[in-house]
Amino acid sequence: MTRRLLGALLLLFAAAPALAQSQPAAQPPIGIHLGVATCNGSSCHGAPERPRNSYVRGNEFLIWAKQDKHHLAYNVLLDDRAKKMAQSYGLSEPPEKAAVCLDCHADNTAAGQRGPLFQLSDGVGCEACHGGASGWLGIHIAGATHAENVAAGLYRTEQPIARAEKCLSCHYGDETRYVSHRLYGAGHPRLTFELDTYTAIEPAHFVVDQGYIERKGRVTDVQVWAVGQAIALVKRMDSVLDPAHAPKGFWPEFAFFDCQSCHHEYGGYARATTTGLGPGAVKFNDANEVMLKIIAQRVAPQAAAALSEHMIALHQATIGDWDSVQREAAGVKTAAQSLVSGLAQHDFTGDDMRALADALIGAAGSDDVFSHDEQITMALEAITTSLKASGDIAGKQMAAVDSAMKAVYTAFPDSQSVQQDAFLKALRNLQQAMRK
Amino acid sequence: MTRFLSRALACAALLALTAPAGAQNASNNAIHLGVQSCASDNCHGAIKPFPNSHVPQNEFFTWEYKDKHAQAFKVLNNDRSKRIAKNLGLTDAATAPLCLDCHADNVAPERRGPEFLLSDGVGCEACHGAAEGWLGTHLSGYNHSANIKAGLYPTDEAVKRAEKCLSCHVGDSNRFVTHTMMGAGHPPMPFELDTYTAMQPPHFVVNDSYIQRKGRPNDIAIWAIGEAVAVKMRMDLILDPAHAPKGLNLELSLFDCQSCHHAMSQLQWGSRATTGLPPGHIKFFDANAVMLAVIAGQLKTPDSDIAQHMVALQAALGKDWDTVKSEANAVKSAADRLIPALVAHDWTRADAIALSHSVEASALDGDDVDYSGAQQQVMALKSIVAAMKQLGFANDQQVAALNDALMWLDTTVADDRTYDQGAYVWALKAFNAKLPQ
Repeated sequence: MTRRLLGALLLLFAAAPALAQSQPAAQPPIGIHLGVATCNGSSCHGAPERPRNSYVRGNEFLIWAKQDKHHLAYNVLLDDRAKKMAQSYGLSEPPEKAAVCLDCHADNTAAGQRGPLFQLSDGVGCEACHGGASGWLGIHIAGATHAENVAAGLYRTEQPIARAEKCLSCHYGDETRYVSHRLYGAGHPRLTFELDTYTAIEPAHFVVDQGYIERKGRVTDVQVWAVGQAIALVKRMDSVLDPAHAPKGFWPEFAFFDCQSCHHEYGGYARATTTGLGPGAVKFNDANEVMLKIIAQRVAPQAAAALSEHMIALHQATIGDWDSVQREAAGVKTAAQSLVSGLAQHDFTGDDMRALADALIGAAGSDDVFSHDEQITMALEAITTSLKASGDIAGKQMAAVDSAMKAVYTAFPDSQSVQQDAFLKALRNLQQAMRK
Repeated sequence: MTRFLSRALACAALLALTAPAGAQNASNNAIHLGVQSCASDNCHGAIKPFPNSHVPQNEFFTWEYKDKHAQAFKVLNNDRSKRIAKNLGLTDAATAPLCLDCHADNVAPERRGPEFLLSDGVGCEACHGAAEGWLGTHLSGYNHSANIKAGLYPTDEAVKRAEKCLSCHVGDSNRFVTHTMMGAGHPPMPFELDTYTAMQPPHFVVNDSYIQRKGRPNDIAIWAIGEAVAVKMRMDLILDPAHAPKGLNLELSLFDCQSCHHAMSQLQWGSRATTGLPPGHIKFFDANAVMLAVIAGQLKTPDSDIAQHMVALQAALGKDWDTVKSEANAVKSAADRLIPALVAHDWTRADAIALSHSVEASALDGDDVDYSGAQQQVMALKSIVAAMKQLGFANDQQVAALNDALMWLDTTVADDRTYDQGAYVWALKAFNAKLPQ
């Protein structure tokens, strides 16, 4: 008990100066990042078991510290691989000192924004996602509502749009953070992402129960997936439109392209029917667009047509000139943006979800593109999770779907290839298992 | 016997047919008479050498049974070719000039004699030239130079052989495997003149008579000249307006295949003096140029600035196409200037050993250990060992030990998917440990 009390007191204390500073501002203050140590008190989010009468599980810190790779994000910068990567990339400082690495491998907020307990070595800590706590920690501890916390600067990670923006700012990139092909060439692993699946495998440190739904509303996995695809596509197009990534001479920013479009064995015959490009052409990574188009065809067919039209034109533009690339990227971006709010609110019915699953499985059969297959798999994960959460799929059927889904994953022997025959067979079985 | 008789008759008929044309000397319009006109049992289709013959006489059988050139047309009808043709929007690979130009002796219809068969693939005259002009003098027993004058192609001269082989095996202004064709399914095309001559296998034997008539071939010279001509022809391909970038679209066949086609788990980038490129950038295919720079180093010629221009060529991709072209021209003329010296040089035992060490050094300095580089280095060492054997630079025991080491080296570069820089370097060191002092 004393420990808990001490923890809470300490936290209040730490937050106090920042709170005082922020008081005069009408807007939520620019939050000072107080550090993981200000959240992980045993009476707060570092509880070994759920505190009585608590809305939340209380062990969020422990999940993060023991299971969530965000916690190790800084530590990996100390590995030999990171050292080698920094050297190849041409950094003059070690990776744990370089902004290009720290900006995503830690909560690399400006020096003046770090509280006394803040530690860069905590990696991607609480406030990297939830926002600098100086503005809201006080009222949060004092029992403010979620809306009040949000008004005071807590980031709305429960909202799919906001969550997508936050996660993808590193997991795809934004105007300040981007894994360029030069960084890949130096050894950075390939980035891949799907908002709902990655929320689940993080693993999530929240539980959607009655209390959660009352406070934050019900958000389904399929909504999170759909919004995640739209925002990912917007961010992709933003990176294409960013002058910093314009071609240097004849070197394009290869990170725009589908990795396996080049990185495949001869005779891999990576066949993409979605691009209209001839053999031997390198294609932009269009996996998010292919997903979003499938979603839009179900819920907003007109937007789907516009999206598809611009994406095909964008593929063509990649063998044309940069101005056309820019024009069509802007077109794809607008089309994707127009879908975002609708998808966040759309009530995906059981029929919707089954139709989407059918379309995804159909797309897998008509194409042999790894990045598509990967997204299709994660999409089906989100859809089956939603169907299970809504009670649509339960009991024996749930077991059958889970086992079919497992077989889909098994078709991926590693993180960069899929056994096409096994994959298609597993998808057909899943389709069967999902039927009403 | 009837078969033999008919061949002999055919031979006589050909003599009659070719007589007038022989007088006209070498002509670009000369008729290709067909494999049939060479394959007679009393010509190059004999099962054993004739008494007092200069040559084995079984050249046709070597080609027919062992040489893949004989299959070049036939593969156009297999499933893979059908798939490639379909991907390219062609109706039939076996009738498309795009394919036939290298998979057969695809001369204009009016230049095909009555016995000529396109389906013979890369037949005798695809390399030796239209026989209409020279078959007469050849059959009548005139010497090699008279045949050459009459239009026989001088495949015994390394520069000429290189130009002929590489006109398909790298490509020229008419024939080039574009990345579109590669993407449609065409396999990649490694090549090194001396090694590929040995693998073909050759249908000539270097004996005293050969040496008297055509000079003593030196595998090192053939390798060196092959690399120089390959560099020249690769630069021509870069300079060819047909391969200039179309907007953002580069002709990717000009680049090193494994620059892109490697598994993402195979981290292969290293700081390379031969390219100067940062990680994540693609490079023009440079394995021939890296070897040529090694060879030029051995000649100690003041003109060996190939390496510098190659680095500038790679960097030029970050600038504009005019810079690319001017550096490609610089590389080309550097290679061109080297050729006479490569032809004139007497490649000695000391050269052979020093070159082996330089080839090793080009990889051991952590420089060219890319798959394409390693592949080219292994073929270089094969050529050097062939010379050592042929010219007596090493004794049988030493040659056997080197060949053993070469077998290991060969396995390390057998497949780009399993290629491992460390294993390659290890095998390379093991090879060099076997070199005679």
